[in-house]
Amino acid sequence: MVAETHGPGNPMPTRRQAMGGVPASAHGTFRSIKTATTTLLLGLYFIAPWLRFARGPDAPDQAILVDIPGRRFYLFGLEYWPADLPLLLGVMIFAAASLFCVTSLFGRVWCGFTCPQTVWTDLFFEIDRRIDRLLGRKSGAATYLKPIIYSLVAFATAFTFTGLFFDITRLAPAAVAGVAPPAAYAAMAVLSFTTYVFAAHVREGICLHMCPWPRFQAAFLDTESLVVTYHRWRGEPRDRARVPLRLDLASVDLREHYGASPGQPDRLRGDCVDCSRCVNVCPTKIDIRDGLQMGCIGCGLCIDACNTVMKRIGRPEGLVRLGPEASADMPHLGPPPRRYLRGRPLYFGAVALAAGSSVAYGLATRSTLEVSIEPQRQPPFVTLADGSIRNDYNFRVAHLGKARGELVFAIPGQKEAMVRIAGANGAHDGISWGNHRSISGKILVTFPRALAPRGRVPVTILMTEREANKPLATIQSYIWGPEERP
Amino acid sequence: MSDEGRLDPLTGQHTTGHDWDGIEELHTPLPRWWVLTLVLSVAVALVYAWLYPSLPTTFAASAGALGWTSRQQLADEIEAARLSQADWRGEISKRSVSEIERAEDIRVFAITGGRSLFNQNCAGCHGVGGGGQQGQFPSLVDDDWLWGGSVDTIYQTISHGIRNEHDESRQSEMPAFGDGGLSPEDVEAVATYVLTLSDSGLEESRKALPGAPIYETNCSPCHGAAGEGSRDFGAPRLADKIWLYGSTKDAIKRQVTQPRMGMMPAWSRRLGDESVKMLAVYVHSLGGGE
Repeated sequence: MVAETHGPGNPMPTRRQAMGGVPASAHGTFRSIKTATTTLLLGLYFIAPWLRFARGPDAPDQAILVDIPGRRFYLFGLEYWPADLPLLLGVMIFAAASLFCVTSLFGRVWCGFTCPQTVWTDLFFEIDRRIDRLLGRKSGAATYLKPIIYSLVAFATAFTFTGLFFDITRLAPAAVAGVAPPAAYAAMAVLSFTTYVFAAHVREGICLHMCPWPRFQAAFLDTESLVVTYHRWRGEPRDRARVPLRLDLASVDLREHYGASPGQPDRLRGDCVDCSRCVNVCPTKIDIRDGLQMGCIGCGLCIDACNTVMKRIGRPEGLVRLGPEASADMPHLGPPPRRYLRGRPLYFGAVALAAGSSVAYGLATRSTLEVSIEPQRQPPFVTLADGSIRNDYNFRVAHLGKARGELVFAIPGQKEAMVRIAGANGAHDGISWGNHRSISGKILVTFPRALAPRGRVPVTILMTEREANKPLATIQSYIWGPEERP
Repeated sequence: MSDEGRLDPLTGQHTTGHDWDGIEELHTPLPRWWVLTLVLSVAVALVYAWLYPSLPTTFAASAGALGWTSRQQLADEIEAARLSQADWRGEISKRSVSEIERAEDIRVFAITGGRSLFNQNCAGCHGVGGGGQQGQFPSLVDDDWLWGGSVDTIYQTISHGIRNEHDESRQSEMPAFGDGGLSPEDVEAVATYVLTLSDSGLEESRKALPGAPIYETNCSPCHGAAGEGSRDFGAPRLADKIWLYGSTKDAIKRQVTQPRMGMMPAWSRRLGDESVKMLAVYVHSLGGGE
């Protein structure tokens, strides 16, 4: 995949070098798609933490929030507990398999359109281009204005991200007053710094030198994957537009036109006029005419640039296009294949489907209650004045979602056991949730002395909702009594 | 040996100028960053040694320019923790213990703080869960209370203690009936009688026992005619199944002749009123509270 031929003479100094590394803007289908995805993703990112979602008095009202001290993750109506972490694993497998599946079908669309590095770099390129257009590329004002705008965007990015972990409506006042958590300051500082460095300075260097994904993406491509391909069979040899076109490419009319001049021209050219537009617009500064390479992020901007030129010189579009890699040298592979049911996409699609449906199943059937009942071991049991034996249990119950009714506990199969819940003013039959999402307290289980268990006996405690008379949970525990009968 | 180095054409490096029988040494200094790091580390160490206690003297270390000590840091952290709880403690000091129990949030705070205080100060005798220790210290989780099991009486007991030198401490003393008060035969008889008190089935028959009149004369003023006890004197109820100092006849005889009585410090002086209130609410929540 190395360039076989280059245009004669020294290559023209590219406009890209003059612009200090900022690619020229392209116009066309791919640029439109890229602008749309960049706008959409940046919009989602900056709006997401500001969305509100009413959850009642005990929970935050931010729609998307990772509550680290409370160990909760809120996503609109859904709420995740640490016990739901396996779901995250499923989501990650799903995301990875989907990425592999899409890559094997369409090449690096992730890199080209949706990767955060791409999105922010695209934004910063556009900032550069606008400022250059407004103030002139070499003006002093531009050199001062750019870092200011970079810093603002970098800080907004860091602030928004931090706002996913700390109510964003309170973040600014808290940060100014100095009462925000230290981690919030650290996150804002580190992310401002990395955004500034990565998006304003390193830019495509991340893709070329740091990111592991380009290194192994080739493993997901097959011969039919769509990649940005320069049709060498059509483009070579490159030469200026004034040189006559290769006869096999030209139409009959053109041949007559050339034929009018006396004698055979000493050199003929392909469709590529070596204008360097494809290099000038490339965000990673590669020459796509060298073939598929690690630096290509598959954004298709060179396709837009080349099509513009082809239209201008009256040649058919598609000298650079999306197609299977082999089409570079084989004209008959011209139209991109439409065979989606191939080995790799099917395999990765199946993995994604399995992971996705597992997550959906897990989410649909997960428990919305967190119950723990611990026997009090010091002492294991209490002898009361009338000789009866009491066992105490500390319980803690938390629920997810809507408020619930009153809770009662019972021990099925032990009719002589009296089960009460210790409260602020004496013991009760049940305990009410009130406004709370989690309640804790003490369960007192009393046996008459004569019927008390001897030693340690396993027991099942049943938790029920009183009004609905619906069993909510059964908990295995132990009950203790004196070893010998009175 | 010459002192001047020369440029070695083969490697493009300078030599040190050292020459041993024609063998020369290339000048390969330590990397500059390495040397700078070393110098910087030494500088940081010197500054650190000046700021913090670090130089050992005979009995202590140099004080350090910042005057930092780990003891002071701990004190500062404790003070900061106290300050962060100041609002809650203020709420507690304004309220009586029974008012605290009625205010849900404050009750939760009091119980949480009370648990920690209990484990530090009380668990040594009464056990981590308040289970007490048979023969030594009463259980706090059962429904039998020597001095009363309402939150107010618990508060008073913890605050002033039992049988100590505090002015408002709970005071009472059971006479040692072995010292001339009762003959060994009388002690034997009264112990037999006392053991029947906790058995309601023997209510009629026990009146005929020889110990009945002895109990009536000597014990009932404090322990009650039916052995119901008296919380004014901390006299235990004898008509129940809870025997702190043992339920055998020997144990009861020992208690009649040489009585043991528990004592407890006055905690308000040591912990302060707010902490005692939190302790009272916690103990009241242990399961036996009245």
